[in-house]
Amino acid sequence: MRSAACWGIQAMPQRAPIADYLEALTRELSFDRSLAHRVRLEVEDHLWEATTANRDTSIEAQARAVMSFGEVRKIADQYAALSLLRQARRSGAIIVLASGVLYIAMKGRVAWYGLMQWALSDTLQPVGKMVLAIDRAAYILAFLFGAVGWAYISSRRVSPRFDVACRSQLKWSFRLAVAAACPMAVSVIADATVTALRLFNERPPLSVFLIPLLSIAIEVAFAVVLVIVIGKTQRSTLRASSLLSRRRVS
Amino acid sequence: MIVLAALSSGPAHGYAVIQEIHRRSGGAFELPEGTIYPALHRLEQAGLLSSRWATAESGRQRRVYVLTRRGIRALADQRAIWQRFADAIGSLLGHPGHAATRTNR
Repeated sequence: MRSAACWGIQAMPQRAPIADYLEALTRELSFDRSLAHRVRLEVEDHLWEATTANRDTSIEAQARAVMSFGEVRKIADQYAALSLLRQARRSGAIIVLASGVLYIAMKGRVAWYGLMQWALSDTLQPVGKMVLAIDRAAYILAFLFGAVGWAYISSRRVSPRFDVACRSQLKWSFRLAVAAACPMAVSVIADATVTALRLFNERPPLSVFLIPLLSIAIEVAFAVVLVIVIGKTQRSTLRASSLLSRRRVS
Repeated sequence: MIVLAALSSGPAHGYAVIQEIHRRSGGAFELPEGTIYPALHRLEQAGLLSSRWATAESGRQRRVYVLTRRGIRALADQRAIWQRFADAIGSLLGHPGHAATRTNR
């Protein structure tokens, strides 16, 4: 009979093989807490069902159920590939969504300025033109990288394991997401700059300025959400890599 | 396809799916039990299954899986492909002298 360590459970007294196994599995899946919680409940139900099927809940019966279930690392490996690819796809979708929101916000603001017949003053014209050129270029870059990144990660097949190919897909997805997020941040900063210049130079009433202010707030909120989502996905990937690589080395 | 087929008779939780595979295959498939769960998650992510929490008689929480319409269609497609393949292999293996006769001509 193989020892518990062979199944990915750290050496400890075999007081409760199922509890120990669940602890080990939860630890291996800690890169995605909601997944770890769900898997723990599912596996717990399975292991107790398998144990009680023979009307025997002894330590030996629990150990047999754990052994039939399989090695913790192998199970965690399969979940890691699934979870991280799902997170990367979500990041890609949010980038494309943010691009759409930014576009609508920009067009809405311009339409509002037109409606209010509110043109940039002569002194602001040169600065405004330059910032808007930067804004446009940055937005196009953000959209292109975002669309390519989303198409890339959506077209990948879910790898059955968290292997080299899966890690490479995630790495490329992260690079494209960052390549989209950076110009998107530049675009939002440019929009905010032009809007601030208008505000401080002309000091219009709040009722006139509320729509542009709101559109900038939406842009900033999406940019922040984007950065948080990309950061979270990357942290999960690094944590999963570190956890599952550590198991391979040890 | 194996997991989808096991769920074709109705909603089931992971352990029941494994038992169903074991029963229907006459014990031929002794899959590592733990690999079924990531497979169920993968199929759910692909939209072929949906799932919900239910409370077992024991009071434990369990995840119950059910085929979606897309899953039913995918299973039908897979069955048709498998049937064609099985028929072709069956015809081939069913007439061992056929190929030899042609070679001797």
